[in-house]
Amino acid sequence: MRHLRAALARLAGVFTGHRADDDLREELQSHMDLHTAENIRRGMHPDEARRQAMLASGGLTAAAEAVRDQRGLPWLESAAADVRYALRALRHRPGFTALVVITLALGIGANTAIFSVVRGVLLKPLPHRDGDRLVYLRHSIDGPARGNMQFSVPEVGDLRAGAPSLADIAEYSPWFGTLHGTDGAIRLDVGLVTGNFFEIMGLAPILGRLTRPADDGTGVPPVMVLTHDFWKRRFGGDSGIVGHQVRLGSKSATVIGVLQPAPYFPDRVDAFTNMVISDHHLSALMVLDRSHRMTEIVARLAPGATLEQARAEVAAVFTRMQSQYREAYDPASHHRVVVAPFKQVLGERARLTVWLLMAAAAFVLIISAANVANLTLMRGVRREHELVVRAALGAGVARLRRLLLVENLVLAFLGAVLGVFIAAFGVGLLVSFAERYSPRAGEIRLDAWVLGFALTLSVILALLLSFVAALPREGTFASWIAAGGHRVSTGVRRQLLQRGLVVAQVAVSVVLLAGAGLLTRTMMRLADVDTGLVTENVLTLPVPLFDPTRMDFTSDGAAKELYDRMRLELLALPGVTEVGLGSTMPLRGSMIAFDVAADGKALAPGEAMPHADLRTANPEYFRAAGIPLLNGREFSPTDQPGSGRVTIVNQRLAEALFHGEDPLGKRIALRGEVLRFTPFSGDWRTIVGVVGNTQDGGLDTEPRAVMFMPFAQELTIFGGLVIRAERDAADLAGTATQIVRRMAPQAPIENVLTVAQIKDQSVAPRRLNAALLSSFGILAVIIAAVGIAGVLAFSVSARTHEIGIRMSLGADPGRVQRMILREGGVLLAIGLVMGLAGAFFGTRVINGLLFGVAPHDPITFAGVAAMMAAIGIGACWIPALRAARIDPAITMRS
Amino acid sequence: MAEKLDVKQGTLALMILKTLEVLGPLHGYGVARRIEETSKHRLTLNYGTLYPALLKLEQEGFVTAEWRPSENNRRAKYYALTAAGRKQLAREARDWHRTADLIAAFLAPRREAP
Repeated sequence: MRHLRAALARLAGVFTGHRADDDLREELQSHMDLHTAENIRRGMHPDEARRQAMLASGGLTAAAEAVRDQRGLPWLESAAADVRYALRALRHRPGFTALVVITLALGIGANTAIFSVVRGVLLKPLPHRDGDRLVYLRHSIDGPARGNMQFSVPEVGDLRAGAPSLADIAEYSPWFGTLHGTDGAIRLDVGLVTGNFFEIMGLAPILGRLTRPADDGTGVPPVMVLTHDFWKRRFGGDSGIVGHQVRLGSKSATVIGVLQPAPYFPDRVDAFTNMVISDHHLSALMVLDRSHRMTEIVARLAPGATLEQARAEVAAVFTRMQSQYREAYDPASHHRVVVAPFKQVLGERARLTVWLLMAAAAFVLIISAANVANLTLMRGVRREHELVVRAALGAGVARLRRLLLVENLVLAFLGAVLGVFIAAFGVGLLVSFAERYSPRAGEIRLDAWVLGFALTLSVILALLLSFVAALPREGTFASWIAAGGHRVSTGVRRQLLQRGLVVAQVAVSVVLLAGAGLLTRTMMRLADVDTGLVTENVLTLPVPLFDPTRMDFTSDGAAKELYDRMRLELLALPGVTEVGLGSTMPLRGSMIAFDVAADGKALAPGEAMPHADLRTANPEYFRAAGIPLLNGREFSPTDQPGSGRVTIVNQRLAEALFHGEDPLGKRIALRGEVLRFTPFSGDWRTIVGVVGNTQDGGLDTEPRAVMFMPFAQELTIFGGLVIRAERDAADLAGTATQIVRRMAPQAPIENVLTVAQIKDQSVAPRRLNAALLSSFGILAVIIAAVGIAGVLAFSVSARTHEIGIRMSLGADPGRVQRMILREGGVLLAIGLVMGLAGAFFGTRVINGLLFGVAPHDPITFAGVAAMMAAIGIGACWIPALRAARIDPAITMRS
Repeated sequence: MAEKLDVKQGTLALMILKTLEVLGPLHGYGVARRIEETSKHRLTLNYGTLYPALLKLEQEGFVTAEWRPSENNRRAKYYALTAAGRKQLAREARDWHRTADLIAAFLAPRREAP
């Protein structure tokens, strides 16, 4: 109580100090008067009486100072004085201040922005209750695009029974439907979930309720939980939405609640429903077939159970399943299951990229800090005089150090404030960037942690900067002062430090540029990839007519007829040269794939049966899409349901099945247990043609094996139109969409894109990577160039006298210029060599982001070295030129 | 002249409080004179020691200060003991006695030791 009261009184004293000063002066004066009066009374001469009183006082100024220290908080007041002084000093050098603040702001801003991504996407605790206890199970086998096979319902049942470390398993099946509203049809991406899903995930509703076990099984009404995002987007955050019916295909579901904002996983969905909405998900195929894998699973570890226990149990269950059900697990495919923490899985795709950017941002900060350190060193020389005067007036080393620290803190804070502004502008951009990699992009924001990060960075920078400036050690102070106005520390140490910083800047820039260069080269390589088809002038228009809520194939004939009518109508448009029909658009992956067997061909022991994407196509499809026919014929109008079953394979499937033999006339068939439950037959089909491979799985992967079947001979589960035009097909998109919407108002028409646009979309994330890293690289080079130029310019100004003497002794300007260039060139060369060495080892970590270039691609390295050298020499040129223009007559006189 | 002694902050506070208790409200000069006289001029208090101590007591709420006309019709700042100050004085005096006794007891056998 007493201390608190005293502290408050002193704090108040900080602000009321000047008023109390008058009071104190009067009190001390009255003391002295009383003393003098008493002395006189004792018989002293008045002058002597006053003198004695004055002597006894011990000095009025000292007393006032002592009282002032007791009155307020001296350290606070002197800190405030330091800040005031620092601000005044910085105001007097606006150029220096602006340069330092902007340089620091760029460094701190870049780091703050990227750290907000690191935190939002990788570090922040999951919004799920006890999110650290969630694990994700991934089932994979060998082969392209088989990294995530998902699970079948019987497999999930076995895991539930055999892995007690998993408290329970939530099932999730990606699905989509057509949402019918007053404004037409839209495609709705839906997660079909078991009733325990949200309980296990640890998520809560913000409105209404979530699904629960009572919503499982048949004979229950379909219910829907909206994601927060979709609720805002589609229903404007209407709080009265609960209880509403929405039409989904032929069924309707009741909205029962809205989910809290949460990372989408594994797909971005608009809503969740119970399984009953999809006939398929309650069919025998789904429920009983062990190889019908359509379910993603997330489990919660049982209390006390560890990840290792869960891993061991899951592995044991899987081994048992493989020996028990041999037909569902082809040993040649190497079935395996990985159990990974859910949080880690959410960050999987983003991790490498995000840390890479964080490293790049850190590099930019290192370069900016080096620049600022150099500026501070140079300024330190110029203000040495001032510091000597201060020291002579009684400031100790600690006091001077504190003064520098306060000054640097002010600079760093200004830099941090500006940097956070820069970051705030960048965050929006980064969210859209991160959305391509992470389901948690929505969680990126400048929160207290991120601001704390920026603050910490600025304090660390200020501390570092305060200690690069040379101050004498405590004992040597006198000699420092004695040296007075002369330059005390043009010393070797400072010069070495400055040069070392320049070398480091160049080296770090080179590493960054090398990374940026490799990613840019990757982009160029990807752009050069042959997609296998003609991408210009082709418009794709997917038209989903099939209603996935109901496995009803009775209207297939009518659907085919409608597709044909659309085809003819679009063909009649001016400028359209060909229209094809098919299940899947060019460059898009097929959603259906089967094992394929060749008639009369036995598999070698241990050889996995070839796996092929299934696509349907009408006779015109190949010409419209520009897929080259290599051998045989295209489908013909006579390939009808009643006629013989025919197929066209791509080169890759032909190769996998026949190993170089002529595939024409050979027979192949779909295989596997799963066929029993599908509308596709395992009949033999005769190969009538071979077409070229296309990059449907992405530009950077091996082409996939594809088996085409006549559009007319198979059910149209998926369907769409491929339109070839004379000129730019994008112009047709509006008209074509209108026509199709009019003819099929119940179908959601989305993603009407040219093939070139689809290709472009598939490389967009990489392009963003390359662009971000390149901008960091360019930023680094600019800052480094300013650094080199600054250090050389300083060196020139410090050597003006010397250069003047050289010139008066006969050195011509060209020679002087070469001398300065050489000085910079040596630093540049050392930095280049070190940077290239660093890049040689450093670029290995980004191997996973590269395509078609080695991590130490010589062309990239040479280009980077040339670019850095050119910019570096350019930066040296300016100070060199200035050195050459020094007039010896003027220099010598000054 | 007698040997001069240093005054410790806490000790000075105790002396000031005791002075104010004995003499009632008093200005800084009076406090200083009284302490110097009581110590038989072994202590001298310059302003830089006395006034920060008075201010500290005021901040802690043990004394109050007020401008009043002095005996010879000048204005002077008078310090007076508060209730809290009286309590503090009692507490500090007790502590001081205890400490003094303890130290005395502690030092006594030493003298007898060989």
